[in-house]
Amino acid sequence: MAGGDDLVRRAQPWFGTIVEIAVPRRQEAAIEAGLAAISHVHARMSYHDAGSDLEKLRFAGVGEIVAVDPETVRVLRFAATLHSETAGLFDVAVGCHLVAAGFLPERGRNNLSTLAGSTQDLQIVDDTHVVFHAPLLIDLGGIAKGHGVDLAVAALIAAGCDHGIVNAGGDLRVFGDVSQAIWLNRADGGLTDPISVTNMAVATSSNRHTRARLKGRLVTPHIGHDQRPVIANHAVTIVAPTCIIADALTKVALADPELANTLFARYGAQMIIPESLRRAA
Amino acid sequence: MISRRTFLGAAPLGLAALSQPARATTYFTGATVRQALFPSATQFVDRSVTLTSAQAKAISKASAARVSKSKVAVWEARGANGKLGTMFIDQVYGKHEFITYAVALGPEGDVRQIEIMDYRETYGDQIRIPKWRAQFSGKRHGQPLKFTKDVKNISGATLSCLHITDGIRRLLATYALVIAQG
Repeated sequence: MAGGDDLVRRAQPWFGTIVEIAVPRRQEAAIEAGLAAISHVHARMSYHDAGSDLEKLRFAGVGEIVAVDPETVRVLRFAATLHSETAGLFDVAVGCHLVAAGFLPERGRNNLSTLAGSTQDLQIVDDTHVVFHAPLLIDLGGIAKGHGVDLAVAALIAAGCDHGIVNAGGDLRVFGDVSQAIWLNRADGGLTDPISVTNMAVATSSNRHTRARLKGRLVTPHIGHDQRPVIANHAVTIVAPTCIIADALTKVALADPELANTLFARYGAQMIIPESLRRAA
Repeated sequence: MISRRTFLGAAPLGLAALSQPARATTYFTGATVRQALFPSATQFVDRSVTLTSAQAKAISKASAARVSKSKVAVWEARGANGKLGTMFIDQVYGKHEFITYAVALGPEGDVRQIEIMDYRETYGDQIRIPKWRAQFSGKRHGQPLKFTKDVKNISGATLSCLHITDGIRRLLATYALVIAQG
């Protein structure tokens, strides 16, 4: 049975998008715990917010051990593992390219585009400390959002919710034993027919609407092999057990579908590229 | 086959709008959002203002956001011990979306909470491909859904809070330049 209509919904702006939480009406009070988890991850992992861990890391010197939130370390650990599993393709230290292309602002420190180290130059010291071995600029982007969704789901369950949905723009997760109707955005702005999902995360990424020109070259916020921007005219949807996995794998799949394919079994994920999501340039 | 787009192009505007899938959710009404923003308030005093063109210009300059309407809906929330803060209800428009939201400011004019009250978004024409649906088989997927145009949960949504961010900057300037002065 598809549920949905018995759910009460709340929505707040976080992560540069609108985050919506839906839970059964009788469990409405739990939404506060979900929103608190979202706001915690946003406050720690937003590139833009003053006082975030990313701001702290932006000003950290090479070799300086920096204290950060345990959740930030969890996300960085995930990123570092995927970085090595993708031979460097998945890289959260692409901030320098994003600043150079105008997708991220300089934010209080000049010459950010020269911080060209990769995730490989990041060392996790322990559950609350990290250190850089080369100058680098981290933008957690979608995986912070994905982790926010995952933490919100954990908080909702802990607060007594038996089912619901957390949707943060591209990343959404359905939990509990009630299936929900999910529509996928096509790269051309239309929607697919709904699919019915239970207990899984879904992430959809495309860059058809987030492109710019830099010195005559087309740039996107997705960086692929050899630090070249990924230009994809289709949207990629991944279903996975968690949102952080689903979101991260959409980025790998946009840049290198074959490489992504080698990771799906390990992460319990599946890629969906329906014909209706494709569109010729 | 006549394409859906051609057909819609020939239809009267109202019909075309009805035929498009739309996301429309009401999270709060003007009455219910007050409680969510200021649970301990006992009174909401209407402080709504109509901006003069000079005020609108000053707000626009200070916030770098367009002031598209002169009427500003504002309430002062009061509790047992006096002023708790200020509540704005505002709308922002995007290319395809229309959002009503409420902002709670603390007594010092700091943003305490933002709630989306109403969200409406329309999408382009849809293509339905049964073959694609067939990919979703097995125990993780439920029964086929009845087709509905009432879209609720979207993955990869274009939902952006860019307009809301601009709107909040505009409201903060409105508070500083007009409301706090009154």
